[in-house]
Amino acid sequence: MAMALAVAPTRMELLKLRQRVGLAQKGYDLLKEKMDALVIEFFEVLKRIQEARPKALEQLSVAHRALSMCFAIVGTLETKQASKETKRELQVDVSTRHIMGIAVPAVEVGEVERNALIRGYGLHMTSSVLDEASKKFERALKLLIELAEFEESAFAIAREFEKTKRRVNALEYILIPRLKEAIKFIMMRLDEMERENFSRLKRIKAMLEERE
Amino acid sequence: MSSDRIIKLELSRLNLHLPERRLSLKEALLSPRPQVAARDGSVHVFKRGELEFLAGLLPEADRDKLPLPILIALEPKLGRGTARISGEVEVKVVSQVLGKEAAAGELLIYRPEVAILRRKLPTTTQYLFMW
Repeated sequence: MAMALAVAPTRMELLKLRQRVGLAQKGYDLLKEKMDALVIEFFEVLKRIQEARPKALEQLSVAHRALSMCFAIVGTLETKQASKETKRELQVDVSTRHIMGIAVPAVEVGEVERNALIRGYGLHMTSSVLDEASKKFERALKLLIELAEFEESAFAIAREFEKTKRRVNALEYILIPRLKEAIKFIMMRLDEMERENFSRLKRIKAMLEERE
Repeated sequence: MSSDRIIKLELSRLNLHLPERRLSLKEALLSPRPQVAARDGSVHVFKRGELEFLAGLLPEADRDKLPLPILIALEPKLGRGTARISGEVEVKVVSQVLGKEAAAGELLIYRPEVAILRRKLPTTTQYLFMW
């Protein structure tokens, strides 16, 4: 049970407490709405992760199979040498989008798949198997970037959800019950005081009548 | 800090993610980097794919009448999970996205529809908390 606040049993205090309950209730309603919206966002991102993750993993495994093939046909040393010669720059536009004040990453990737001519390794020493493996890794990279965006969003939303839930719980289970308890106490005390007054007046009236 | 001040602070922070000035769809389409500045100083970027999707829903004459982001107003008074879309062109677009009958000037949507709307337009819609 929530502990009652220490309050003076006056009408002024009662009015103040009623205002505070109103404000707390408003805060509670809005934070609850925010929590609902966060749940919608979280499940949406989760759905996207569930779609993106198997695709990325599948593409990675395809790429690794192609790489093994490349090691076998072109040779391990030659493949490693070609990988060292490859250009490593990738144009990625990382910005933020906001979901109720939570900054989540918004990543826009340009074309990840490159032409064999612009990858950077020499063509006369390599084979088309290497081109194929590179292409498959580039496809996997694009899917991994998308997956990273979704996963980071999910973490950010989950963190905000946790914070909001803590506040909603504090309002629901601590502050609002305490305020309501205090209001109840003041009302009971005021009623009691009124009854006391009434009986006192009756008693005085009776005493005055006795004297007369 | 008293609990009342914390609640007031919390309420004042609810809408800080909203833009200071909204951008029309036409402006956003013409911009090389479509984005708006939020009240908290951060930047919210629109995805070009979404802008093109919205452009496909509207005749060219209406593109400068659609302010972005479209605001999904959550108001506890309306009941939990109910949201309001205001503005003639906004209502037209949202009705088309959700496959609902277009209403004049204002549209009430419910939680599953909010989820669909956010799925289709994650960067071009934003929540607005009203009290």
